[in-house]
Amino acid sequence: MANSINKSVNEFNQQVKPVSLWADAWRRLVKNRMALVGLWIVILFGAVALLAPVLPIYDYAHQEIMFQNIPPSLRPAGEVAISQAQKHLDHIQALIKEGRSDLQPDFEKATTDFAALQQMVRESPAANNVYILGTDYLGRDMLARTIYGGRISMLVGLVGTVTAILLGVIYGAIAGYVGGRIDNLMMRFVDIMYGLPYMLIVIILMAMFNREGSSSIVIIFVAIALVSWLTIARVVRGQIISLKNAEFIEAARSMGASATRIVFKYLLPNILGVIIIFTTLAIPSFIMAESFLSYLGLGISAPLASWGTLVADGVQGMELYPWRLLVPALAMTMFLFAMNFLGDGLRDALDPQSKNRA
Amino acid sequence: MTKFIFRRFVSLIPTMFVIVTLSFFLIRVAPGGPFSSERHVSEQIQQNLLKKYHMDEPLYKQYLRYFGDVLRGDFGPSFSYKENTVNDLVSLTFPVSIMLGVTALSIAVFFGISVGIISSLRQNKWQDYGAMSIAVIGISVPLFVTGPLLQLIFAMKLHILPVAGWINGRSGILALILPAITLSFPYFAYIARMSRASILEVLRADYVRTARAKGLKESVVVAKHVLKGALLPVVSYLGPAFADIITGSLVVESTFAIPGIGRIFVQSSLNRDYTLIMATIIIFSLILVVMNFLVDIIYSFLDPRIAYK
Repeated sequence: MANSINKSVNEFNQQVKPVSLWADAWRRLVKNRMALVGLWIVILFGAVALLAPVLPIYDYAHQEIMFQNIPPSLRPAGEVAISQAQKHLDHIQALIKEGRSDLQPDFEKATTDFAALQQMVRESPAANNVYILGTDYLGRDMLARTIYGGRISMLVGLVGTVTAILLGVIYGAIAGYVGGRIDNLMMRFVDIMYGLPYMLIVIILMAMFNREGSSSIVIIFVAIALVSWLTIARVVRGQIISLKNAEFIEAARSMGASATRIVFKYLLPNILGVIIIFTTLAIPSFIMAESFLSYLGLGISAPLASWGTLVADGVQGMELYPWRLLVPALAMTMFLFAMNFLGDGLRDALDPQSKNRA
Repeated sequence: MTKFIFRRFVSLIPTMFVIVTLSFFLIRVAPGGPFSSERHVSEQIQQNLLKKYHMDEPLYKQYLRYFGDVLRGDFGPSFSYKENTVNDLVSLTFPVSIMLGVTALSIAVFFGISVGIISSLRQNKWQDYGAMSIAVIGISVPLFVTGPLLQLIFAMKLHILPVAGWINGRSGILALILPAITLSFPYFAYIARMSRASILEVLRADYVRTARAKGLKESVVVAKHVLKGALLPVVSYLGPAFADIITGSLVVESTFAIPGIGRIFVQSSLNRDYTLIMATIIIFSLILVVMNFLVDIIYSFLDPRIAYK
């Protein structure tokens, strides 16, 4: 069919440009608008997280006790605090006018507090701080905390995924390539591990080994990685088995390539697509797992924060200070949303056969 | 067929054995014990305490003793709830979690499949896009965000549902609604996506075309031909989903202050209540393993193409 080495033709004898798998996949990905939006959001989040130390934001651990629970606003914190206090004062006054004379002492206290606040705002340099997304219960900037929380969450997602992939790929590749009884044994082990209630094991590890709290991030990494490589090991094994009798492997073997070389040079590049898809879909699930632990009080410890701990903190006062819950929750949801769309898009792009799979 | 079921059943035993052994030693190697956080007591009292719970014996003896007890269905005394045995605690809290989990899973299956059917039959119409956007939200939003948000909206602002509590409380069955919806949301989303994808695939199959060519009504084609083939993946997802839902109920139980086994589990691992942790792990894994077993059996009934190895 092909009339020369470099040119290929389609069924109508028209010349077509040969397209590599990656170029083809990229074309399909770009066509998928939601996946592209997801990609941009992920890049944006990643850039902000990377650049956090040089961005013009306040210190995430610095407390301004004067400005606790300031709502999101573009005005300086001093002004916001004063108008909040003014509102409180007016509210009490209105209540007294309605006949609640028992509130008179509250009114007097609020008035002196108000005067003191005005005095403090005049003297404090922090009064000019602008908290776009408000402050938390210790007067820390929510924007900075959300960004730094995102750093930790994304780090957990990334490290967990990388560990899972390293372990899983090596394990799966060995089992798949060696085959026979060893494969059987290795996969039986994976089956049994699958039978373990995975989250419970992580919780036990966290609760038991997390005594001092200083190394809690490391323990999270270990705990999550320990139980997360199973899926990828299975997938890689299946792929390797289906590929290892292919002709190009036969050719490599006949040329004297060693087993390691065949696995790493010939087999793994061919299943890179599967691994990439797994990665994008695994990162959100690791972030979820970490925030799940943090929410239960077993994760990252203060003053460090992750999206999970921020949400858990925000839940405490959500009726009066909803932004403390909504800001981290929205940031986290947006990122997970973007990751999921990107993962779906990548799967459709790299593996057209499985299009629209759940 | 009977042979297949029997062999599949026998294969559960080594799995459970490994789980029990692994978790027993995992818990024991961890630093700290059930009495290490208490007030400093004299050496003699410490010795007596350890003796009372047989913790002065060598580890392998403790293990054999524990294993024997578990086989007889006795999970031993609780270290931190001194009045109760572990069996008491489990029988108090377990039904609560199961009820929550089953309700949530039923909601997820019912709405998930319905939404899947609708959006696959109206592919690329607004119904499809709307439903699938909701499904992606369901997958992306963690339970501990959904829960508090629902509390904020329906309990604190609208005052139509109770904020927290369980059905034995003042508000009765109403207290089940918010936690069950929260818990079911991600599974609803996953089932909706999965059933949509597999219905779309089956709709293109030859036997569906044949059914239509025979002149069957569209509703009959969908209900009798398409769904039968398309719901297989959903069935096989139910096993892991049920196990997941129980883990998810940890969060929901702590958000809505529900006296279920999940809360006890988190408490017991912080207290190093060895026997209680072991009991919860064994029960959870048993559910997981048995659910997978049942799903395998149901699957082989539904899909004659599966060989009974």
